[in-house]
Amino acid sequence: MIRFEKVTKRYPGPGKPALDQVTLDIDKGEFVYLVGTSGSGKSTALRLVLRELRPTTGRVHVAGKEINRMAGWKVPRLRRQIGTVFQDFRLLPNKTVSENVAFAQQVIGKSRREIAKVVPETLELVGLKDKGDRMPDELSGGEQQRVAIARAFVNRPMILIADEPTGNLDPATSVGIMNLLGDINGTGTTVLMATHDHGIVDQFTKRVIELEHGRVVRDEASGSYGFQH
Amino acid sequence: MQLRYVFTELRTGLRRNLSMHLAVIVTLFVSLSLAGIGILLQQEAKIARSTLGDELKILVNLCTQDDPSNSPNCGSGEVTDEQKQRIEQEIEDNPEVRSFRYVSKLEGFDNARKSGQIPDSAISGPNPVVTVEQWPQGYWVTLKDPNEADGISSALVGLDGVSGIKDQRKALGQIFGIMKVLKYGSWIGSAFLIFAALLQVTNTIRLAALARRREIAIMRLVGASTLYIALPFLLEALVTAIVGVGLAAGALAAFQYWGVERGLAEHVQFLPWVDWGDYFQSLVGFLPGIPGIVILGPLLTLVPTLLLTRKYVKV
Repeated sequence: MIRFEKVTKRYPGPGKPALDQVTLDIDKGEFVYLVGTSGSGKSTALRLVLRELRPTTGRVHVAGKEINRMAGWKVPRLRRQIGTVFQDFRLLPNKTVSENVAFAQQVIGKSRREIAKVVPETLELVGLKDKGDRMPDELSGGEQQRVAIARAFVNRPMILIADEPTGNLDPATSVGIMNLLGDINGTGTTVLMATHDHGIVDQFTKRVIELEHGRVVRDEASGSYGFQH
Repeated sequence: MQLRYVFTELRTGLRRNLSMHLAVIVTLFVSLSLAGIGILLQQEAKIARSTLGDELKILVNLCTQDDPSNSPNCGSGEVTDEQKQRIEQEIEDNPEVRSFRYVSKLEGFDNARKSGQIPDSAISGPNPVVTVEQWPQGYWVTLKDPNEADGISSALVGLDGVSGIKDQRKALGQIFGIMKVLKYGSWIGSAFLIFAALLQVTNTIRLAALARRREIAIMRLVGASTLYIALPFLLEALVTAIVGVGLAAGALAAFQYWGVERGLAEHVQFLPWVDWGDYFQSLVGFLPGIPGIVILGPLLTLVPTLLLTRKYVKV
């Protein structure tokens, strides 16, 4: 589902590359943690998957397509197959919960009928069935992250990318979010989660890919967080 | 594509940046009005030149049967072919002359009629005061230098068959000079205001993109197309252009009606003036080369919008 072939990403200016000859392969339906210290290259890897960046050398394949040479006009179609969740939720404050989720469908041209059907289903999936009319600032952090997950999943993407999704949440709420991501993974969606949360990684054991200075230093099928900084 | 969202965003965008949009509209309105007046003046100069000649030209009138000039050159009545040959030879050999053109009685008569030299009352009715047959033949002589015509004038003035030389350089030079100043003045003013309009459009888009940065970021992430993201911006630009062009078209129509038809045309009758056909041409443009304000307005807002949205909403 996601394949990096000797991928190097170098930003302008002097210094070491953000990613250095990274090769990795993530299959359909896998749940993978991407761990490493700040500056290890996690975010760069996620942005390469989203085709927000192009590799300096090497090849990135996502959903069966080599995306580094993909024409710009094809990128939106690629992104419709990828859902993204962030640490800071990134909800639209002037829209209700339902409108926030519906927004992801409206802007790719889904019909009103389909939106009216899928949005309540997705809100039910994330446990916010009765909160569709609330505004984001009326929700707790955990609930806001659930809305963000609903928005990322409403188009039923093949891949869900989560960048520190529990970074702003307390441990108990984080467990709820991890359970939800586990449920989504259970539907066959590949989940790639960048995290610093070693408690979560150790508790919900999954494949762990560890980056250090832009290189893959560990890839364990069922790993723990592994290092304590 | 869900256009409902696009139109909602358009409405919100227009409302949110109302003062900026109004500033763009007013600037566009004034700059396009000035550009339109410049285009009309350009056309006016063209019309005046084609009818009256320009400051490089002098008109040599030839003798008629009963020549009113009482010139001694017209003693033999209507100019003869031999006399015309002699006159042409003289013109051709003169170093001050760039070129010359024969003007028939009919052409001369028509030009005089169009420029108001012959009042309509003089040519209408069963016994018109002036007829084509009475009108003199002539030559339009184009000079190399408008300031040097003494040689050709003195060479021709004594020739048999030459009734007189109409040297319009001074009068026309002044008129064309004024037109030139007004035309370039309005174009320069328009250019400055167009530049101001471009800056305002740029600022408006920057502000609009800033206000929508969260939405744009999410749209990019969930796979909205660039066109879909840019469409509200483009429509906002189009709306401001349409309003600006509409106001400028109204102002130009007012200028054409009160300024030209009811003003200049009534007071300066010896010149032919731009008409409503020319007004419509100033809207759509004189091709090739001069775009009208209907083209200029949307170009001024849509092109910077397209360029900037490519920068701000690039996927």
